[in-house]
Amino acid sequence: MNSDLITLFSETFGIAEEKLQPGATLESLGLDSLAVIEFLFQIEDQFGIQIPDQANPPRTLDEMVQLIEPLMPKTRSVDTGPAA
Amino acid sequence: MRRVAITGLGIVSPLKIGCETFFSALLSAKSGIRLLDVAFPTGIESVIAGHIDFNPDTYFSRAKLMTMDRVSQFALVAAREAMAQAGLGDFASRSGLPPERFGVSIGTGSGGSGSTEAAYTALLEQKVARLRPLTVVLAMNNAIAAHMSMEFGLRGPSSTVSNACASSATAIGDAFRQIRHGYADAMLVGGSEALLNRGTIKAWQAMHTLAKPHADGAHASCRPFSKDRTGLVLSEGAAMLVLEDWATAERRGAHILAELAGYASTTDAHHLTQPDASGQARAMTLSLMDAGLNVDDIAYLNAHGTATDVGDVVETNAIKLAFQNAASALPVSSTKAVHGHTMGAAGAMEFIASVMALRSGKLPPTAFLETPDTRCDLDYIPLQARERKGMRAVMSNSFAFGGSNAVLIAKAA
Repeated sequence: MNSDLITLFSETFGIAEEKLQPGATLESLGLDSLAVIEFLFQIEDQFGIQIPDQANPPRTLDEMVQLIEPLMPKTRSVDTGPAA
Repeated sequence: MRRVAITGLGIVSPLKIGCETFFSALLSAKSGIRLLDVAFPTGIESVIAGHIDFNPDTYFSRAKLMTMDRVSQFALVAAREAMAQAGLGDFASRSGLPPERFGVSIGTGSGGSGSTEAAYTALLEQKVARLRPLTVVLAMNNAIAAHMSMEFGLRGPSSTVSNACASSATAIGDAFRQIRHGYADAMLVGGSEALLNRGTIKAWQAMHTLAKPHADGAHASCRPFSKDRTGLVLSEGAAMLVLEDWATAERRGAHILAELAGYASTTDAHHLTQPDASGQARAMTLSLMDAGLNVDDIAYLNAHGTATDVGDVVETNAIKLAFQNAASALPVSSTKAVHGHTMGAAGAMEFIASVMALRSGKLPPTAFLETPDTRCDLDYIPLQARERKGMRAVMSNSFAFGGSNAVLIAKAA
């Protein structure tokens, strides 16, 4: 999984990275659908990307990464901050 | 009509977390008020306030916190204490209390005003193009009740009252009637306020009703009924109670702390900010009639007592109107001197103070009352707590901007 994303997830929700297994459901990690929406918003800001609205929002960590990873800029990382 | 039992109490206040700590600070007249540095766009200003040192990570996961304004966080922490005391903290143990018959009734003045301010700051100062997706659900006033119902799975009636400083007293009164008249068997009730944000502080400063720093220190700046009082102190916090149908509480073996025996609400229809003694007195008299008690039965009155010039004099006159010859012998105190004015949470917080006085036989004093205003000539229990055993009933007054008056009475169990 994308390490920038996992780091951001871990920092945002205060969950150790080693506990973030790809198959873990977001619900089991304590996120309800609103927290998922808020996190996707945060990712958009952080990486300067736009995530299309989902008919079926991601249920697992892996599904979330699959959704976001193709949209991520290749050279950017968490530390570069929001896009100009 | 059914009798209503009080079976749980919970408080988050500038006097820290928990009812016992709160009441012990009231008795020792230990103030939680201090100077708070607030960063305004024009620079840092020191504001006298009842601010809570509160670490939300102690109580909630980060994912949960994303969805909660500070006002809901205070509410839930207080609610957990109240539900635990009622023996209802564990979801599965709620035997004899179907969730569909268990509701929530909450008072708040400003709701999630911190989130509202954060949104406007982002929009107008930081010029962001879009706001956080959860802005609405963080800021909405009924989010507090929603979080409480979800935490404990309460599916009965729920409502949110915004009656300024009388919000939570009214919310408690409404819930009392829900149980009395059979619409619910139990209600989680109270109020929460988290208004120490820039916009709210500036708005209150503009009203010229806030206390000035006292020579003895910021902690001593709220001085109800005192000759040298200069105004109220903004404060934050939450106070929650569990109310139950008496027979239901007995059947499930709950420990009944006191009876919520009377409630009345009136409106002055007089002025937006100037109180009216006759409207306040009418609320006190009607609450006594509601409880089936006489003036002599009230052994302690927790006054609204905000420490404004007009407010304290009008309330004194209202007490005299309602209690007549019994007024001079009635012990009255304002505990706002030490916890400040928690606005939408004030009614519930001070009703809890009254219930704890009733149960302990100890009357909290009016702190810092060295020289009373000559127009305020009742027994305000100055400076020192007082013992009074065998009390039958106590009263708590809450009066609001807008002319809303709410009075609650608790009777010994």
